[in-house]
Amino acid sequence: MTTATTVQKRPAVARLSGTNIILGVLGLLTVIGGAAAIYRLVTGLGASTSLTDGYPWGIWIGFDFALIAFSGAAFTMAATVYILQRESYRPAMRPAILFGLLGYVAVLVLLVLDLGRWDRFWSFFVNWNVHSPLFEISWCIVLYSTVLVVEASPQLFERLGKERPVRWVYRIVIGLVIAAVTLSSLHQSTLGTLYLNMPYRLHPLWYSPILSLLFFVSSVMAGLAVTLLIYPIAARIVGKEVDNGINSGLARAIGWVALVYTALKLGDIAVAGELPLLFAFDRYSLLMWLELGVGCILPMIILLAPKLRAQRRWQVIGALLILFGVLMNRFNATLFAQFAREGASYTPNLVEWLSTMGVLSAAALAWYFGIRFLSIFDSDAHAKFHH
Amino acid sequence: MTKAMLIDTTRCIGCRGCQAACKQWHDLPGETTHNTGSYQNPPWISGKTRTVVTFNELEQEGALTWTFAKRQCMHCEHPGCASACTVGALRKTSDGPVVYDAAKCIGCRYCQYACPFDIPAYEWDEVLGLIGKCDFCVDRQGEGMEPACVKACPTEAITYGERDQLLAEAHRRIVADPTGYVDHVYGEHEVGGTSMLYLAGVPFASLGFPVLRNEPVSAYTEAVMRQTPTIALTVAAGASALYWIIKRRQMNMVLAEPVAAAPSIDQAAEKPEEVES
Repeated sequence: MTTATTVQKRPAVARLSGTNIILGVLGLLTVIGGAAAIYRLVTGLGASTSLTDGYPWGIWIGFDFALIAFSGAAFTMAATVYILQRESYRPAMRPAILFGLLGYVAVLVLLVLDLGRWDRFWSFFVNWNVHSPLFEISWCIVLYSTVLVVEASPQLFERLGKERPVRWVYRIVIGLVIAAVTLSSLHQSTLGTLYLNMPYRLHPLWYSPILSLLFFVSSVMAGLAVTLLIYPIAARIVGKEVDNGINSGLARAIGWVALVYTALKLGDIAVAGELPLLFAFDRYSLLMWLELGVGCILPMIILLAPKLRAQRRWQVIGALLILFGVLMNRFNATLFAQFAREGASYTPNLVEWLSTMGVLSAAALAWYFGIRFLSIFDSDAHAKFHH
Repeated sequence: MTKAMLIDTTRCIGCRGCQAACKQWHDLPGETTHNTGSYQNPPWISGKTRTVVTFNELEQEGALTWTFAKRQCMHCEHPGCASACTVGALRKTSDGPVVYDAAKCIGCRYCQYACPFDIPAYEWDEVLGLIGKCDFCVDRQGEGMEPACVKACPTEAITYGERDQLLAEAHRRIVADPTGYVDHVYGEHEVGGTSMLYLAGVPFASLGFPVLRNEPVSAYTEAVMRQTPTIALTVAAGASALYWIIKRRQMNMVLAEPVAAAPSIDQAAEKPEEVES
């Protein structure tokens, strides 16, 4: 009798578990955010946001640019497994590709919200301007999202037991990954190029001739950090064992990329003769220390120290700090380090926050259910078709 | 042979006739503004206002004097906005005006960031907003007429004509009255030159004009963007080569040494597959 009662109670307990509370909150945010997004689309930017001519871009763009860097997880891991052929990292690849795909979808939705003429978002297909960084970025995001759909499709086909389409994808997988790496190199770096025409708007600590390179390197760093955070979560969701070799390998790689980034950034500041600005300890110098010191150098030290790196707690702290740093960097470049016209100010309003949170929550929910119900860790199926 | 305007701020009396004429010609609505403590109104160019006369009260020889400066799109020779525009909606015509094709625009507002003069403005009050900026009355010019602001100016503070001739005229005025003018034709060289040229009796920075270098703002961007095909080919070729080299090296290792002495994590994971093939 007692066992029967316990068995019956189990679902009730599960319904109130931490996971379900998180899912419930994400679901609620998605619904509220969806309503906020619709409100923005029908009322226009002036009526629904705090954006002005002084600050034409706000948190949507900040989160877009950060999320594109985070979604670098997909091309970084695909390149690790298929180009560098580090097969041991394969278990972490599919969660990363799914994250990347959903990240780009979220970015596309937020970009449409941001367009004054969202009804004509397709205009760049027919109206070309090859000088424009945003033109290149638009094309790359659309093309790369398509590549990601194909790259991720075996996750669905394997689950559905459809072997032929999986075999087709694996026949061209190297080509797909090379396309993914090429398209990613282009638009991740072009997001930096985007600021090169703002020499009088962007603070000199951020404005740099190597912005393109810095943006690309930081996208690799962010992509690896995202993978280090989500791979164990994905494994836990489906009850698979976490491979600690993958975690420490990723942690070490992040440490080295952070070292490269720090060297490039400090070297660039030094060559430009802007070291005094770094030690001015004004608003801009503090923002840079937050981004570079707390968000890059500190995690670099943590992740390059073998003893710390071996511990999951420090891996998580290191990866979170890296993501904080990259998020700060994209927000600084877009908002905080921009010289807006005199008297202009910007405080994002509720519609902007709710719609952003809604889109991000929807992507997080989709990722969770994707991990649960798609074929994420069935490498047997892969081995069958790949060889 | 490009058209230009010479705006002599020493002749401007701040009547704002140009502001009104511009609104009339372009059928632009009025703007609700509030007192900002200045006579300047509206405070700056907006989606509804394409030209603004700035009111600058400056101390000169111990006395306060007014200098008025009509501001609008500078119609750059190498416009940052046109270089940046995602869909090529902004374009420099060979006649001088930087024109805007509203039918292409997606309202991304990148042009607002790419303009060193803070000119393109967005129609924030519209549900589906577009960008507004001075078009140098390209439609009037096409009919052989001068721009509406030039026509309205009662003091000949604005002169319309060929850029090289107006530059010569500007320098002639400076030479004729070296104490009345600062020796600087604003727009002659700024960001690669502009179709709008200015004369002033006080330094331009004190009138709120940005201090700019001679290099177009789009110079770096376009230099990098031109490398796009090279970067794409290099990355694609590099990734392919890397794949091929690593593949070959791994196959050689398998042939030479079937059992590695101390397998790393990578090699350990690869083994089942190697056995399989």
